[in-house]
Amino acid sequence: MQILDFGYMAELFPYLLGKLPITLGMASAGMLCALVLASGLAIVRVVQPPLVNGAAKLFISFFRGTPLLVQLFLFYYGLPQLIESLVKIDGVTATILGLTLHFSAYMAESIRAAIVGIDRSQTEAALSIGMTQSQLMRRIVLPQATRIAVPTLMNYFIDMIKSTSLAFTLGVTELMGATQKEASSSFLYFEAFLTVAVIYWVVVELLSRLQKLMERKLNKAYQR
Amino acid sequence: MTFKRLASTLALTVLTLGALPAHADIKVGMSGNYFPFTFSKHGELQGFEIDVMNAVGKRIGEDVTFVTASFSGLAGMLDSGRVDTIANQITITDARKAKYAFTQPYVYDGAQVVVKKGNDSIHGPEDLSGKTVAVNLGTNYEQLLEQLPNADKITIKTYDSNVEQDVALGRSDAFVMDRVSATQVIKQTPMPLQLAGQPFSKIENALPFRDTKDGRALRDRVDEALTELRQDGTLKTISEKWFDADITSP
Repeated sequence: MQILDFGYMAELFPYLLGKLPITLGMASAGMLCALVLASGLAIVRVVQPPLVNGAAKLFISFFRGTPLLVQLFLFYYGLPQLIESLVKIDGVTATILGLTLHFSAYMAESIRAAIVGIDRSQTEAALSIGMTQSQLMRRIVLPQATRIAVPTLMNYFIDMIKSTSLAFTLGVTELMGATQKEASSSFLYFEAFLTVAVIYWVVVELLSRLQKLMERKLNKAYQR
Repeated sequence: MTFKRLASTLALTVLTLGALPAHADIKVGMSGNYFPFTFSKHGELQGFEIDVMNAVGKRIGEDVTFVTASFSGLAGMLDSGRVDTIANQITITDARKAKYAFTQPYVYDGAQVVVKKGNDSIHGPEDLSGKTVAVNLGTNYEQLLEQLPNADKITIKTYDSNVEQDVALGRSDAFVMDRVSATQVIKQTPMPLQLAGQPFSKIENALPFRDTKDGRALRDRVDEALTELRQDGTLKTISEKWFDADITSP
């Protein structure tokens, strides 16, 4: 066996690139939904309204406490056995749903930490000049919390991109599923997985650059 | 749903029912990574199963759509009604027969031990004592191994896919697969593998359907189509195209 079949990798590369939109699409949709849900959960966890707080705690506990693959199986294969009409949920939707619920549980905790991390004196100062609770949140706490949360949230987004590789279990031929199918006919597993690794890596590296740009922008007010 | 949409849907349903009795395309689940039965090359799904199912579809006048998912997800797809059957060399076993409605077998095969090239110490399942054997998850080869008299001396490793690679690398001593695809893997790929002895267990592969009224009805139509395809030689032709041999009769 020769060490590496570069010709095969070059041939596979453009085909696999064509699967990038579905992978990034699912991750981006999941990220947007998860951000909204996580912000809601985080605010609930900070304000702690009686009943809702308990529900939020239970939600975070379950979705952080079980593997994503298990959750995907439950949504996609389990639920339709209980409620037949749920069969209409396709693999892409189920994956986005799974990513949203799973990652919002993690993200809620880091957003909560960012909110709690804003010094108490700022809250007191804002209230003392007559700001309402919502003004306080909108103008003082959230802008600062965003700056603190961005690096960890970006981390979750990167993790989410890679987690879309589980979607082939639900019949979605994304980047990883396409790689597996191609490798199974060529039997050039090393070449195929190396090619897909490079694609994931480059995408994540580009995102890291984007993160740096965002951080620089958010830090402007703190620079002398 | 608005009344207008409801009405038009009803009208359409009645029309469709009148024109084409019970027409709905067949959704077929498969892994897409089981060479040469179902595999993808340059993004195009192909293989023995695809040819057989397209021939069946043509015979009964249904469009066939293929859904690929990893093997561990296929049964769930069938159970939850996302596909109508699975064309992935599903072997008939008692447990599966209790749950699904099967067609007649369309592939007759045997379980085969495969080892790394140059390993001449293993000639069949009786030589597997003390060895590590790789099998693919959810396949019936794991059960076949467990039924062997020397089962408790065999270390079974289960993978989601890629057992061939594990043996080629020398991490496992052998893998068990059906003889037909094992032969193809050895012939068509550069992996250093060889067959170890003769097949040790007969296997019959068929198409499973949900064991419901609709599932059994579809099964009957597909089964009839298989009989016709067998009689007119189509199955044999497809088999010879992929395997240079007829694996569709006992």
